Amino acid sequence: MDRAYQRTRILTNHLILNSPAQTDCLTSNECLSYSPPELSEKYAFDVSEMRRLMDGHDVEERDRLFGLIIQSKLFNPRVRGGKVFVSPDYNQSMEQQREMTWKRIEYLLERGVFGGWMTGKGEEVEMKRFACFEVLGLFDHSISIKLGVHFFLWGGAIQFFGTKHHHDKWLRDTENYLIKGCFSMTELGHGSNVRGIETVTTYDSNTGEFIINTPCESAQKYWIGGAAKHATHTIVFSQLNINGTNEGVHALIAQIRDADGNVCPNIRIADCGHKIGLNGVDNGRIWFDNVRVPRENLLNSVADVSPDGKYLSAIKDPDQRFAAFLSPLTAGRVNIAVNAVYQSKVGLAIAIRYALTRRAFSLKANEPEVLLLDYPSHQRRLLPLLAKIYAMSFGANYLKMLYVRRTPQSNKTIHVVSSSFKATCTWSNMQIIQECREACGGQGLKTENRVGHLKAEHDVQSTFEGDNNILMQQVSKALFAEYVAAQKRNKVFKGLGLEHMNKPCPVIPSQLTSTTLRCSQFQMDALCLRERELLNRFVADVSQCLARGESKEHAFNTNYQLAEDLGKAFSDRAIFQTFVEAEATLAAGSLKDVLGMVRSLYALTCLEDVTYLRYGYLSVDNATAVRREITKLCSELRPHALALVSSFGIPDAFLSPIAFNWIDANSWSSVQH
Amino acid sequence: MASSQHEQVLVEEKSFARILTLNRTKQLNALSFQMDDPNVKLIILKGKGRSFCAGGDVAAVVHDIRAGGWRAGANFFMKEFTLNYLMATYSKPQVSILNGIVMGGGNGASMHGRFRVATENSLFAMPETALGLFPDVGASYFLSRLPGFFGEYLGLTGARLDGVEMLACGLATHFVPSAKLPMLEAALCAVDSSDPAIISSIIGQYSERPSLKEQSVYNRLDVIDRCFSQKTVEEILSALEREAVDRREGWISTTIQTLKKASPTSLKISLRSIRVGRLQGVGPCLVREYRMVCHVMRGEFSKDFFEGCRAILLDKDKNPKWEPSKLELITDTTVDSYFSKVKNEDWEDLKLPARPKFNLPPYVIAKL
Repeated sequence: MDRAYQRTRILTNHLILNSPAQTDCLTSNECLSYSPPELSEKYAFDVSEMRRLMDGHDVEERDRLFGLIIQSKLFNPRVRGGKVFVSPDYNQSMEQQREMTWKRIEYLLERGVFGGWMTGKGEEVEMKRFACFEVLGLFDHSISIKLGVHFFLWGGAIQFFGTKHHHDKWLRDTENYLIKGCFSMTELGHGSNVRGIETVTTYDSNTGEFIINTPCESAQKYWIGGAAKHATHTIVFSQLNINGTNEGVHALIAQIRDADGNVCPNIRIADCGHKIGLNGVDNGRIWFDNVRVPRENLLNSVADVSPDGKYLSAIKDPDQRFAAFLSPLTAGRVNIAVNAVYQSKVGLAIAIRYALTRRAFSLKANEPEVLLLDYPSHQRRLLPLLAKIYAMSFGANYLKMLYVRRTPQSNKTIHVVSSSFKATCTWSNMQIIQECREACGGQGLKTENRVGHLKAEHDVQSTFEGDNNILMQQVSKALFAEYVAAQKRNKVFKGLGLEHMNKPCPVIPSQLTSTTLRCSQFQMDALCLRERELLNRFVADVSQCLARGESKEHAFNTNYQLAEDLGKAFSDRAIFQTFVEAEATLAAGSLKDVLGMVRSLYALTCLEDVTYLRYGYLSVDNATAVRREITKLCSELRPHALALVSSFGIPDAFLSPIAFNWIDANSWSSVQH
Repeated sequence: MASSQHEQVLVEEKSFARILTLNRTKQLNALSFQMDDPNVKLIILKGKGRSFCAGGDVAAVVHDIRAGGWRAGANFFMKEFTLNYLMATYSKPQVSILNGIVMGGGNGASMHGRFRVATENSLFAMPETALGLFPDVGASYFLSRLPGFFGEYLGLTGARLDGVEMLACGLATHFVPSAKLPMLEAALCAVDSSDPAIISSIIGQYSERPSLKEQSVYNRLDVIDRCFSQKTVEEILSALEREAVDRREGWISTTIQTLKKASPTSLKISLRSIRVGRLQGVGPCLVREYRMVCHVMRGEFSKDFFEGCRAILLDKDKNPKWEPSKLELITDTTVDSYFSKVKNEDWEDLKLPARPKFNLPPYVIAKL
């Protein structure tokens, strides 16, 4: 209908012979009016229902927080094309951005947004906190990191490493921001290898004080969020040296600034300077010059030092002790994984909406140009990413639940799942945003359009709280350990979703039909097959190295390629499983039907991974069938594209001008205003 | 004159404009459906008598429901909301001259238009929570877009605004002294353009920028923001009570009293509606409000609408007995249910009429 209408209009224009007055040419070109996708696209399912499924929890809380942001001048509201958009002014200096980030936090604090974040307990509080982080992250990465450092790292360390007197002393003041915390773990010389840090703490039993010292330049604390400007207190990680014995890495509380913001004696602080993104966060460097802190400042849930200087710990094994110390980082990792999914949503919602309004090239002369999303190639670029975002969204919801329902027994699962999902979601995020940027063409390069700028802001995700490559290696090592343990238990796998290893190896039909390819059982089989085969191969290769007398470390290091493939296979399969489970909660209907297509598109995109051909899990014919089915699914999902991105539940104000009336947003009258 | 005295809307056909005059002075120009959109450059909408439009004829709706069941009421609202949507998405600018009372449905007929002209006689209110209803006719769209949390304040309390306040908060786009209205009208009838910039500058020639009265609530936006940004109605009330201790200002205690007199169910669903509406386009707002109003009329969870109409409009004892009677008796789940589809065989969501896909003015596109 649209085409017919446009065509008639163009023909009419040609037929009307009286030449238009000159001013007409200047005022508007009829062919390029913006046509809102809301009026041409149909919603085949209830978008608010899909949003509830995707967000999973605390929808009202999210909406209130969105409203708090949109209604305040502090969040830099700007009108483009008649709509309000909120986003920080990234053209501000680093100093100004940091100042604004802090003002926004103060505003949220006054509105009670952080109420119960430290003093409250239980699943509900933690889930609500995750929801708030997701919303704030949609506004700006800096504000969520600044809050994350204070609440999850500083606050989390007090909660997890501290004992009652630490909780009583610090948690309420943390929640009310009477103190501002930071987290000094990373050093110039040591990042992922925390056990190698060089800061040293000794104990003086005469005064009952610990003495923290930075012995050399490579021991300076580095990248400490909040340290350069605002933080008053920090958690310090250091080697605890008691009576000449190094007891390993321990955490203490140290004050670094007074209430007026003056740096404390024996503390030196320098700025990390301007960064490629996240300039609203004041990352700093800290040197400790024999700083004395009271004995009570040792966070002593795992180990303590008696007043007379004796080291006491219930956990004798230093490896286990160290693992206990790192567990609070899990919350941060969960946050990063979830946030990466929401950033992908922003990028894709913008790119899809733009592709539904931007035209390029006509198929025939005098025909209207074709909408970008009506090109199969453009569908192929964006729609598999849409499916991936849906899948990761369910994965993220599962991860959050796993975390808030944690038990001592589930620690290992949480560690493995959070590590692999963090790596997968953040890597995917960068890949998705890059594709979306390109799909928006030149418009993607404008900071106000968000999609390009998100790359710089979120690049850090693959590094902080665990380098992605190292996390993935840890996943493979954990799977190796599971395999060895299962062999000891008569080959029975339990946990991490590896139970499929106990069953016979799935067989892929030699001729894959469309029906089979869309069947979730087949999809699951194909994903399990790859995981299983890669795990077998990895174990075999590592065992071979061990048999040759090589060390375990060396064996893992030399088999890094298989380790990477295996980590990915585990992650894809685990995420797929959460998709299937989410789908199973729905009653039959259009929502479930559309979601089923999305699931198939996700699964088949995973099957396009090069490992399937490299190791021969799929025949060349079957790989071709998979590829063909993907294009079919893309064209079938094209009519649902708007509904599927609207279901992300991101308010218009958090997208960007090119997602809406970009012609009016760029009109001359908008320049004059 | 294309219309007789008996008709509810008088239509005057000028060369480029159509003037619609809402004519049922007795029922304070209650809305009806004979207002159609003539195909011209611009629409002027005004009232006759001392009001612009005091809203839908609620008493008649209640009467219809009593006689014909909730469907009759649903039918009324379906037509009204559809009209609201047409006005919000109409391709020609609408100038509403609000020289008098403009309440409820009257706001639905004017606030979605491009230009709203207030005068010294204007009196605005969305008083639905006192009636056991909620701010409808797309109010969750236009109230939620006022500065800060002023929309929550107006929607929950039903507070009245004068013309100057309407201009200050953005409900009105212009303020023209009533003495100049005949000249304004004549000038508008001579405009051969639908360009909002041109129309705006013409209205601008007759406009003034009077200053707010010192005691105007709009000067207390900081307090309103602090209180009405709270998460729940209960928390809004306690925030107001804290402010009342600190600053002993009359309007705060009036606000508390008004909230305590309003239907608790209405307050809760209204707050949620405004918060959700802030994140939706005008179409989805009306679809959602239609769901809500159907639930209200079915009376599954509360019959406050009927009780409110009895107490305020029919018996006029001004003493409604709300049920549930207290805020804390209304759970989130109950509030949720007002936003769900109506579980009734042949019930359907509000179907928004199709709009032209091309050449809608940008101010319309921005609302979708």
